[in-house]
Amino acid sequence: MESPSDAPASAPSGTTPGLMGPATILPRCATGIEGLDNILEGGIPRGNMVLVAGSVGTGKTTLSLEFLVRGAERGERSLFISVTEASSKLIQNLSTFEFFRRDLIEQGSLVFVDLPVIYDRLGLGEEELTGEEIDILIRTIRDLVRSLGAQRLVLDSLTSVCYRIRKDEQIRDFMLRLGQELNELGCTSLLVSEIGPNPARYSLHGVEEAIVDGVILLWNTRRFGDILRVVQIVKMRGTSHSRAQYVLELTPIGILMAPHLKGGREGGP
Amino acid sequence: MPIDIGERLRGLPTGSAVALKIDPREYADHYFAVLNATLRDVGSETNAHTIYVAVTNPAAFVWTLAQALDVPIDRISFVDAISHIMMNYANPLPNATYVESPRALEEIMLRVEYLLRKYPHPRSIVVIDSVNSLAIHNPPELLSEFFHILLNNLKSRSVLTLVLETVEEEQTGVEQMLNLVVDETIDVARAGR
Repeated sequence: MESPSDAPASAPSGTTPGLMGPATILPRCATGIEGLDNILEGGIPRGNMVLVAGSVGTGKTTLSLEFLVRGAERGERSLFISVTEASSKLIQNLSTFEFFRRDLIEQGSLVFVDLPVIYDRLGLGEEELTGEEIDILIRTIRDLVRSLGAQRLVLDSLTSVCYRIRKDEQIRDFMLRLGQELNELGCTSLLVSEIGPNPARYSLHGVEEAIVDGVILLWNTRRFGDILRVVQIVKMRGTSHSRAQYVLELTPIGILMAPHLKGGREGGP
Repeated sequence: MPIDIGERLRGLPTGSAVALKIDPREYADHYFAVLNATLRDVGSETNAHTIYVAVTNPAAFVWTLAQALDVPIDRISFVDAISHIMMNYANPLPNATYVESPRALEEIMLRVEYLLRKYPHPRSIVVIDSVNSLAIHNPPELLSEFFHILLNNLKSRSVLTLVLETVEEEQTGVEQMLNLVVDETIDVARAGR
């Protein structure tokens, strides 16, 4: 199914390729967050699997939820797989934003699934997942996306899933296969990664960021003691993008972004 | 010959950025003349929506003056960046959003953006009161970057931006910096009131 944001091989709506533009512009999945779409030259290339990495309180879940709500508004079925927090609580928090529409859930455009419930139904235990169980998990997510016709997926969080997949090679295999399955289904996905405040890497094992197509990094920074939320696109395959830092604010109408002022100083997570 | 501030402002092209110079020795008179010109002559008469960035005086103080000028509540919103730092925001205004510190320059930009989106209006005015108060809390490099980005952004959206500036006895660089980013400077001392 072609969605409204599946632009032909020309500049996505609202952007121009410019003098340094690529020969072909891949169809985009507009996040609906204007600042993010601007720095991604129209949105995430459709079918990309993107890591949203950040420490606590940086806005990872809110950004991911807005991505889904904006997609559902555009007629793209959107799926949220929650690992750590009950969906009911997430929906309650989401209802504080003006952009949230409960009717999107009622009409099935925005679907929430709790992964622990899936674990239970599949009979997957509490401990480390075996190779066979990882295979079952990938197929279950794929079948869910396929049966719903979901074009957007958020897994919150990948970190919690990876706690149960201990070996690097198994994580690599899980990520590669999940990414491939979702890409074949035309589903653009955000995988939330919880990291510390001063990370040396963007994920639990450091393997994940090498596999994904994109990394959106969020962190808190201090200026004169005040905390600012900052976002930066570290990597995004299939598009050129800004590498600058932006301050992000979670407002009732959605996420807004402004350039991170430096005043001649360096800044970073 | 004295100039009429309201008339000058009304005659400006859309998207202009203007510095309004106030003499500290006549601060009260000049400040009221500026409010009268911006909120009533330009704001009310052109049916514009004003976003007032309050850094010198709290929004509650400016709102009292605006009410005296018969400015309706749906025609003015405040970004208050001073009440928090004064520990004085127990009774927030319904038409104000509060920023924790005048040092949070990006947050000020984002709140202006938020209000422009929340209250889309064919004619919007942003008043920044004042460059001197922001300069107390921020180093000059940050402040220059802030004004350069904010004013260009507002210009591209055809928003009239007015920056209040109290003329200082000693050179602090504020005036020079502002001259680089505004289109015009109006000396309130020369204006008819």
